[in-house]
Amino acid sequence: MSSIPHDATMQTVNPPVIYPGVTYASVTDQVSDVVLKRPFGKAWMAGVGITMLLVMMLTGSIGYLLLKGVGVWGINVPVAWGFAIINFVWWIGIGHAGTFISAMLLLMRQDWRTSINRFAEAMTLFAVACAGMFPLLHLGRYKFFYWLMPYPNSMGLWPQFRSALVWDVFAVSTYGLISLLFWYVGLVPDLATMRDRATNPIVWRIYAILALGWRGASRHWQRYHAAYLLLAGIAAPLVVSVHSIVGMDFAQSLVPGWHSTIFPPYFVAGAIFSGFAMVLTLIIPMRKAFKLENLITLRHVNNCCKLMLVTGMIVAYGYAAEIYMSWYSGSVYESYLSYNRFFGNYAVAFWLLITCNVVIPQLLWFQSIRNNLYLVWTLAIVVNVGMWLERYVIIIISLARDFIPSSWGMYYPTVWDITVFAGTIGFFLLLILMFVRVLPAIAMAETRELVHETHGGTVPMQNMEPRRVR
Amino acid sequence: MARHFHPRSNHIARVLVLGAPLLAGLIGFCIWQLQQSPYATAQDVYVDQPVPFSHEHHVKGLGVDCRYCHTSVSDSSFAGIPPTKTCMTCHSQLWTNAGLLQPVRDSWQQDKPIQWNRVHRLPDYVFFNHEIHVNKGVGCSTCHGPVDEMPLMRQHSTLQMGWCLDCHRNPEKNLRPRDEAFNMKYTFPANQAEVGKDLAERYHVRSVRELTDCTTCHR
Amino acid sequence: MHDQNDPIELDEQPLRAWDEFAPDADEMPELADGLTRRSFMQRMAASMALAGLAGAGCNDRPTDEKIVPYVQAPEGVQPGKPVIFASAMPLNGYGKGVLVTSREGRPIKIEGNPQHPSTLGGTDVFLQASILDIYDPARSQTPTRAGTGVDASTFWAALGARLETLSKVDGEGLRFLSGTITSPSLIDLIQSVQRKYPKARWHTYDPMDRANRRAGNVLAFGKPLSVHFDLKPARVILSLDSDFLFDDLASLRYAREFMNARRVRVSQLEMNRLYVAESTFSITGSMADHRLPIRPANVAMLAQAIAAEIGVAGVSAVGLDAASARWVKAVAEDLKSQKGTSLIVVGESQPPVVHALAMAINEALGNLGKTVLLSESTEFGVGDASRSLKSLADDMTGGKVDTLLILGGNPAMNAPAEVDFAGALRAMSTDRQTDDSSSHFTAHLGVYSNETAFLCQWHLPEAHYLEAWGDVRAHDGTATIIQPLISPLYGGQSIAEFLGRLIGQVQANGYEIVRSYWQKAAGTKDFEGWWQATLNTGVVAGSASSLISASCGKPDLSNLQGSANPAAIDIVFRPDYSVWDGTFAGNTWLMECPRPFSKLVWDNAALLDPATATRLGLAGDDVVKVTVRNQSAELPVALLPGLPDGVITLHLGYGRGPRRSNTTDTGLGDTHGVNVYPIRFSDASGFSANVDVARTGKAYKLVRTHNHHAMGGPTTPTTSSGKALKPHAIVTPQTSEAEKEVGNRRLVRVVSLGEFKAQPKIVEELGGEREKRPLLSLYPEWDYSKGYQWGMSIDQTACMGCNACLVACQAENNIPVVGKDQVEKQREMHWIRIDDYFDSASESPLVVHQPVPCQHCENASCEYVCPVGATSHSAEGLNQMTYNRCVGTRYCSNNCAYKVRRFNFFDFNIHRETPQQKMLANPEVTVRTRGVMEKCTYCVQRIQNTRIEAEVALVNIEERIRALSDENQKTAMREEGRKREHEIVEGMQTACQQACPTQAIVFGSILNVGGQPTKVKTLKDEPLDYTLLRELTTKPRTSYMARVRNPNPALEGAHSRGEA
Repeated sequence: MSSIPHDATMQTVNPPVIYPGVTYASVTDQVSDVVLKRPFGKAWMAGVGITMLLVMMLTGSIGYLLLKGVGVWGINVPVAWGFAIINFVWWIGIGHAGTFISAMLLLMRQDWRTSINRFAEAMTLFAVACAGMFPLLHLGRYKFFYWLMPYPNSMGLWPQFRSALVWDVFAVSTYGLISLLFWYVGLVPDLATMRDRATNPIVWRIYAILALGWRGASRHWQRYHAAYLLLAGIAAPLVVSVHSIVGMDFAQSLVPGWHSTIFPPYFVAGAIFSGFAMVLTLIIPMRKAFKLENLITLRHVNNCCKLMLVTGMIVAYGYAAEIYMSWYSGSVYESYLSYNRFFGNYAVAFWLLITCNVVIPQLLWFQSIRNNLYLVWTLAIVVNVGMWLERYVIIIISLARDFIPSSWGMYYPTVWDITVFAGTIGFFLLLILMFVRVLPAIAMAETRELVHETHGGTVPMQNMEPRRVR
Repeated sequence: MARHFHPRSNHIARVLVLGAPLLAGLIGFCIWQLQQSPYATAQDVYVDQPVPFSHEHHVKGLGVDCRYCHTSVSDSSFAGIPPTKTCMTCHSQLWTNAGLLQPVRDSWQQDKPIQWNRVHRLPDYVFFNHEIHVNKGVGCSTCHGPVDEMPLMRQHSTLQMGWCLDCHRNPEKNLRPRDEAFNMKYTFPANQAEVGKDLAERYHVRSVRELTDCTTCHR
Repeated sequence: MHDQNDPIELDEQPLRAWDEFAPDADEMPELADGLTRRSFMQRMAASMALAGLAGAGCNDRPTDEKIVPYVQAPEGVQPGKPVIFASAMPLNGYGKGVLVTSREGRPIKIEGNPQHPSTLGGTDVFLQASILDIYDPARSQTPTRAGTGVDASTFWAALGARLETLSKVDGEGLRFLSGTITSPSLIDLIQSVQRKYPKARWHTYDPMDRANRRAGNVLAFGKPLSVHFDLKPARVILSLDSDFLFDDLASLRYAREFMNARRVRVSQLEMNRLYVAESTFSITGSMADHRLPIRPANVAMLAQAIAAEIGVAGVSAVGLDAASARWVKAVAEDLKSQKGTSLIVVGESQPPVVHALAMAINEALGNLGKTVLLSESTEFGVGDASRSLKSLADDMTGGKVDTLLILGGNPAMNAPAEVDFAGALRAMSTDRQTDDSSSHFTAHLGVYSNETAFLCQWHLPEAHYLEAWGDVRAHDGTATIIQPLISPLYGGQSIAEFLGRLIGQVQANGYEIVRSYWQKAAGTKDFEGWWQATLNTGVVAGSASSLISASCGKPDLSNLQGSANPAAIDIVFRPDYSVWDGTFAGNTWLMECPRPFSKLVWDNAALLDPATATRLGLAGDDVVKVTVRNQSAELPVALLPGLPDGVITLHLGYGRGPRRSNTTDTGLGDTHGVNVYPIRFSDASGFSANVDVARTGKAYKLVRTHNHHAMGGPTTPTTSSGKALKPHAIVTPQTSEAEKEVGNRRLVRVVSLGEFKAQPKIVEELGGEREKRPLLSLYPEWDYSKGYQWGMSIDQTACMGCNACLVACQAENNIPVVGKDQVEKQREMHWIRIDDYFDSASESPLVVHQPVPCQHCENASCEYVCPVGATSHSAEGLNQMTYNRCVGTRYCSNNCAYKVRRFNFFDFNIHRETPQQKMLANPEVTVRTRGVMEKCTYCVQRIQNTRIEAEVALVNIEERIRALSDENQKTAMREEGRKREHEIVEGMQTACQQACPTQAIVFGSILNVGGQPTKVKTLKDEPLDYTLLRELTTKPRTSYMARVRNPNPALEGAHSRGEA
């Protein structure tokens, strides 16, 4: 296998999607070896250990929560929604990048999606899994969650379709399901590859079952492409719809700071913003750890950064619009809300949010920064924090200071708020760690196509042109 | 490398494609049936009593009026369970040494109430009121069924919310003249549709919207 | 849900409990309501039958449940229908008439008795909450000797032996100690006791015995007359440090009469005027048209100045600072202009001389006999020094006491500072061991086994007033017969029964004692008839003491105190708004009831003005050490704007010792707050000037239900948000345009009578243009034009923030107590809260009380966000909360602009563990489980019952009409039907409305009923009517009437100036 050229040599204005020297064979080797050959490293082990502990903490705190009631959290009467809903929105948002990359970019024929889509989709699934927990856990009477679904019952009742919360259930469950299918269908050819390369009989058997008897026959490929495109078509609108509905959860209320028509679009933008941040947070270490720099290249990093810049700007516009409207509406309560965001008890959170989501991302204008992986990685983390803070600001500040001063309050998270949140992060990372060791983290089949399309896998390095986007 | 899937497995796949949804549907249907079956609702289940009191005998046989024992049915939420004294009005003379009635006599002599087993039982967040139903022309038999045919008391209806709503969403079909309320043998006329409307008018039965307000039954 | 629901799904336990705890219950006579032990048991049984209606179980398969009828149905009791009895609650010896609702033998709710002179149908928090005490499992439940349970007979044997020897010496050394006594039958008994033991002596002590007023009357009239007031004719009222709307014997009556003369309507443009000069911040002060914060010691000077202005003979003017002088002049002028229709009331905290002076002024103004009514005192042994606690304590230490029987009360805790009663008692009871040769004999009869019980050799459980027969007199002497609603749950006996047995009636029972007394006293042929009638009305006809006319001589001003130096710190003692003198310290409803103004719960504090605090370098929650004559107490500081500078207010009755067995309603904490009796000297029972206050450096977390000072009030360190962030909530015509537009929420609107007369529409004007905008909604409007449409009107002029509504609601709707820690987390459950708004403009703030229940919006924002439709709208305009459908997303609470929704964060009903506690719950209301939302329902259970009553009545009448042939008869009947309907529907009252002593809350249908307009409709048509946050288009059914003030033109603006 040819030596992998270093990023440093590739810092052109528009780095190639895959570095030279990559051949059909090398792709397959590189990717499948991560799973089949590579020994379990200490770092990986340690990672699993730590995340396992976090997951145990999560299950523990959930048990306690269900035993005692939501009172163990810091929520109270002015602020009846706390970490649970913040985390829910945050995780759902993170998921979005995955669907965006795999579906939207596929439809837009963005070939650079190829080497990161598999990974991003996995991230989506895991994020949705984390997000899904919260609406359930935050119910006062979780055992009756199914009343939110329409089904014939002896009470002769239906859910109330005027409430966005009901549509939330539909949106999130659909989203989870489609993402799963999309991801799995994409996996099938690669699973076959793994099956064929696996040496250990048990591993072989498992992959074989999962591969559903894929033989790579042209009929298979034809069906596969059809199905894949179809699913992409279904998934694409979800990118917009899911977070729009989450946005409406708030927009439909009359709480100052929620009652705003701009929520759906700017929630979607925010979601993709945080999603790409999370993608970067994860792939930058991974490509290094598993030596995949030539497949997940600076090009990918660059593009993700650019998308973050764009969506970040939309989000910033959202904030601006909110502040403007609070003045323009002439509503005492709206204007007081902005006032309170700037100078109130929670001003720190607000200004931190502005710094993380608006100020710092401006650095991404600069190529040099985009090519500096360490900076990009830190920046991605910062944006993740910022997006969490955004939900914190929206939910807590608005509720803590609404209409009648006598009912104002403060929200102080308890240890159980924090353990549950930290727990879900652990759960998410654990799943990621498992994923990269049991499934091909990069879509081999598609990448091979890409290699073919780029340079037949044989073109010598010097002749290589950065590919135009078709 | 050996093939893992035999071509036959394609059939399995096809079957599954159709079968899985069907199976899911079937399970759903079973649950739906089960939770409104007597097993869940105790409908039509005879309940043993310390004294095997026969409504059939007293109502059909002797023609005792409901209100003779259930005194407060038309002016209290609670229809009233007869005190031992009521039994003793007759049974101090009749069947004075019938073994079956021993518990009644004990109760009377030892001044210890008879502990009947409850037959009709609503969840505690449901507030049912006999007074208003009886006074607006809902007869006993509408909910309690042919009590005069019951040697032992049993629950005639499911008492599920859906069942209540059947009537609250369309009261006309169950209204009868007030003076017929305690008539066990009352049969609805063929033109119940019109009759019901008139009665609803006459007794100011409230609109369906009002009758289906949550606070009508839940407080 | 059914685990903790079911007040009434009781197993046999209460009956067993009842059997154990009432050993001689079999001897219970037939009671007036036919409540014998047997029938009580049967009722308990029937209550289980009722469980079927409110019975247990969810949608799952019903579990086996018994249904248990009576053996023999008692008269007048219909299963499923409540029975109501008239009785009276004695407090400090005087009675307040009540109507008690009983369900299947369980008293569950207390209302005021409209026929009783002291209540006129209103209630205060104490009446409402006293129902909780009957069931309190912490009550003393068995006789004890040296703390270990014994059988009652052992006690009587021991006492009997004792009495043997005593009777030989005419009872020399036999002493009794009780609280104030007005009960005629008891006084009669006491006399026969004294006949039997001539040398025995009866002492009385009561921390709230109104000694100052009595002494004042002695100064004025030469004898301890009892004084009460008639506020109906009073046009101008001056309160000198008096909280007569709260702490007087007839406060409920005064509040009613006072407010009735204050209600401003288009048809009624007159209102009385109230001046208050006070050394604390009282609810009376918050009602004042002009309030003058003043040092307690300076009240005397003020009184003298006013007397001089008015020209009371022999009173010379005193020098006052300009502000006060102006105030005094204006007040005096006003008083003079209202001779015979004015009134000066002096607070109990003021020394006798001030009372005497006030009497002189009243006389000079010709108020005696008009607004000030005098009568002979009905108290037992009134004003006899030899009966005082002091003399008893002296005799005890002097070894003159051989046998001491303490009947009720807790002197060991609340004795005056200079009297070491506890010490004397401990000394006497040293041999608390169980040998009968012990030299002394001390016994305590009490509802709780408290500190005093602990220090006595013997303790016997006393019966709650709802458990035993008795009688008691009201402030004006009117007697009421106390009838029990239930046989003693924990086997107590009344003082009368104790004495009866003491003088040898082997089976003394209250019923016989009371009945036989009145048989003599009534002096009527048909006693049976008299007896029944008296029990029904709840007052003994014509028993009020006759008014006498007296005139006071020249007031002797020799011992008028001089004014204190401005740097000094004075402390003022006041009975607490929640625990009174400590009697209710074990009552969790009251403990968690937010105190007026401070909104503190579960604690008392040293209240002082922010200015004073800054001067002393104190902040909220700092613990200070208050020292009076080498006795000291340590309390946390709470800041309250409007207190006079340099004055600390301390509330009595807290900090009962760890011996207090009060695992209360929730089993929450043991003692709460700090006992300040140890620094209260009998010669300074109202206040003491020049005390030492030192900061201890310690801090203590006080909990309040909200930072109400954030509401347009001046900044205080306790507010969570800085001054800059405070929105304005109060709007008056004086509010500057700028302030009006800059974010004024206009929640509270205040106008003066003059402004209202000049411009009737002014309240709407105060709403600004927001008030005029059309209210548009995307959803089609419901049709609210038919049937009953429920609504509520709350009059902020009449609301004095006494919390009666809040506690009444708690009792009616099974609202749990959550405990201090949960309140701190802002999880209190009260369905109605009282927001106190402070007018930022002033140092001596104008305070407006605003009770906020669910507003029952026609476009309720809570409804459309609920995913399962657990909260929805009824055709009658009720915002319905269906607990059993709620899954607990809490979105409704987030989206409620008024934040009136309450959430069960935990299982707050877990504490209903004992059968007795379960008995309290109202079977008409679901007990909420963990994880469901709840809120004010407008007492929907009462609405439903009322509607059913009305509908049945109507149908019955119409059926009769059908039978008729004669047209005239028909029309007559129809008319009657309409009247009946109107009467039934108007008769319905919500719990808060029924409790309100000032009738500030009015509920009913906002449409005509039976063709006639309803009370609430007429109120909502008044121009003073407005709704909160109108611009949100929520269209609340609860509307408010603006606060109307009646300032004296001569003092305009002065209400905003304070004085030290």
